[in-house]
Amino acid sequence: MGLHRSIALVPTRPLELIRLERAVIGYRTPLLPPLDLAVRAGSTLGVLGPNGAGKTALLKSLLGLLPLFGGRRVLPLGRAPRVGYVPQRDRLDMSWPLTVLDVVLMGRANLVGPIKRYGARDRSAACAALQEIGIGDLGDRPLHALSGGQHQKVLIARAIAADPELLVLDEPTSAMDPAAERMLLDLVQRLKAAHNLSVALVTHQLTAIAGFATDVALIDHERGLFEVGPAEQMLDPEKLGRLYGREVRVAKVGGRTAIVVDGEGGPP
Amino acid sequence: MSGFTDFWAGRDLWRDPMIAGVLAGAVLGYIGVFVVLKRMVFVSAALSEISGVGVAFAFWLGAVLGIDPHAHGRIPLLLEPTWFSLLFACVAAALFSLRPGHRKLAPETIVGLGYIVASALVLAILNSPRIAQEAHAVGDILFGNAVTVPRQQIEALFSAALAAVVVHAIFFKELLFVSYDPETAVVQGMGVFRYELLLNLATAIVISVATRAVGALPVFAFSVIPAAAALMLTDRIRLTIALSVLFGVISAAVGYYVSWVEQLPTGATMVVIAALFLLPGLVKILRRSAV
Repeated sequence: MGLHRSIALVPTRPLELIRLERAVIGYRTPLLPPLDLAVRAGSTLGVLGPNGAGKTALLKSLLGLLPLFGGRRVLPLGRAPRVGYVPQRDRLDMSWPLTVLDVVLMGRANLVGPIKRYGARDRSAACAALQEIGIGDLGDRPLHALSGGQHQKVLIARAIAADPELLVLDEPTSAMDPAAERMLLDLVQRLKAAHNLSVALVTHQLTAIAGFATDVALIDHERGLFEVGPAEQMLDPEKLGRLYGREVRVAKVGGRTAIVVDGEGGPP
Repeated sequence: MSGFTDFWAGRDLWRDPMIAGVLAGAVLGYIGVFVVLKRMVFVSAALSEISGVGVAFAFWLGAVLGIDPHAHGRIPLLLEPTWFSLLFACVAAALFSLRPGHRKLAPETIVGLGYIVASALVLAILNSPRIAQEAHAVGDILFGNAVTVPRQQIEALFSAALAAVVVHAIFFKELLFVSYDPETAVVQGMGVFRYELLLNLATAIVISVATRAVGALPVFAFSVIPAAAALMLTDRIRLTIALSVLFGVISAAVGYYVSWVEQLPTGATMVVIAALFLLPGLVKILRRSAV
């Protein structure tokens, strides 16, 4: 027998974390014809569409929260990726007698496992997440005493405390002024780089996507529209015009992409 | 002072109902924090009535089969009203855990429907000619009277309370997470239905057993008022629970004492005493509004 040299295979990072194949999504009835969508490792997927377009349904289907009417959800890692989830903050009740630290620790619940209590390691991870988000001094503050922006940051800190591979944000910039929106998106970019994350973000705000997402999915079940592709291809006046039923202009202003939806007129 | 002397002299009479009231006040004070925070106060009223349907059904079944379930010692175990009461409450709790809803009917409407239908069923079954002669006995078993509590019910209440506290102690972080933010809990891979079911079953068992021991009104009140009073005073979850348990215990003990001394209905007096704990919170709110 000759000598066999073992070849060290360098594990390559799978290209995709979650994939929908010919998926038919919807709550009680299908919203759209079968669609394909993948969250690529290291990418930032922006899901864009008007109010009530089916964005959240798409996100929930991607996360396996909503059963599919058809097609399948594929997990190329062989398991579900660890997800840090930032829900729409107005869905949460601010009147609960919880401190910021109580909420951020929830991000550790599944890592700790059932029955066991949060330990020193979990507390330190929660505090580190708060520090990283820039609200390290708020750990002991009750939920009801937070501003909307602070609450949003607490939810992001909780998602980071979950040690995620995929950070998912559902309408994170709704009801935010443009400066706060920019700061939040910059924060997510920073976290993405620092934690080697993939990001999926749902929004109806065009400016949130431009210059932020690497891939964009356009969705509107009213128009039976679903398209996905690289951001530079998708943020196209014609495609966005079809999505919103209005004329859309895309322009570069100060190195950033500005998107303007005209008030009058139909699709181009 | 003579009121207290008389009261103390009669301790052999009130010891058991006092123990039952204090146990109910304590455990419902604890569970009530989740009941109030999850905005499911009507669920506790519905579970109380639905467990009553179980008791009434046991009597109806006994009448049909010619067996008196109230005749202790010689009834078949399967006709024991307590089992039917627990069974009905647990099945209802499991159904509520499925978060029933309809396009036009909110879950709270469906819980309300459960309450109304259960109340009507209890009345209809109790007034059936087959068991009308036993209605008084059934009424006591159904909704207790807080004045006399059989030892067996205290043991049942203690077991139910212990089971509920142990479940909460073991799964506190999970129950808190799935109650506060079920959507994120699911995304993070927690079995939300499993924990909702556990929480609702623990609630159902305690409410079912406590209703038999101290009555429907104090049970409903103890599962809402102490928690509401505590929530108005603090914004720490553990302190809220501690205060709520304390308010429940004091309401039961002081309520029983006042009802004894002043010859008032026991359950109603306990509820009135519990309501007094709402005052500090209301004053706090009024002060804040006045600023």
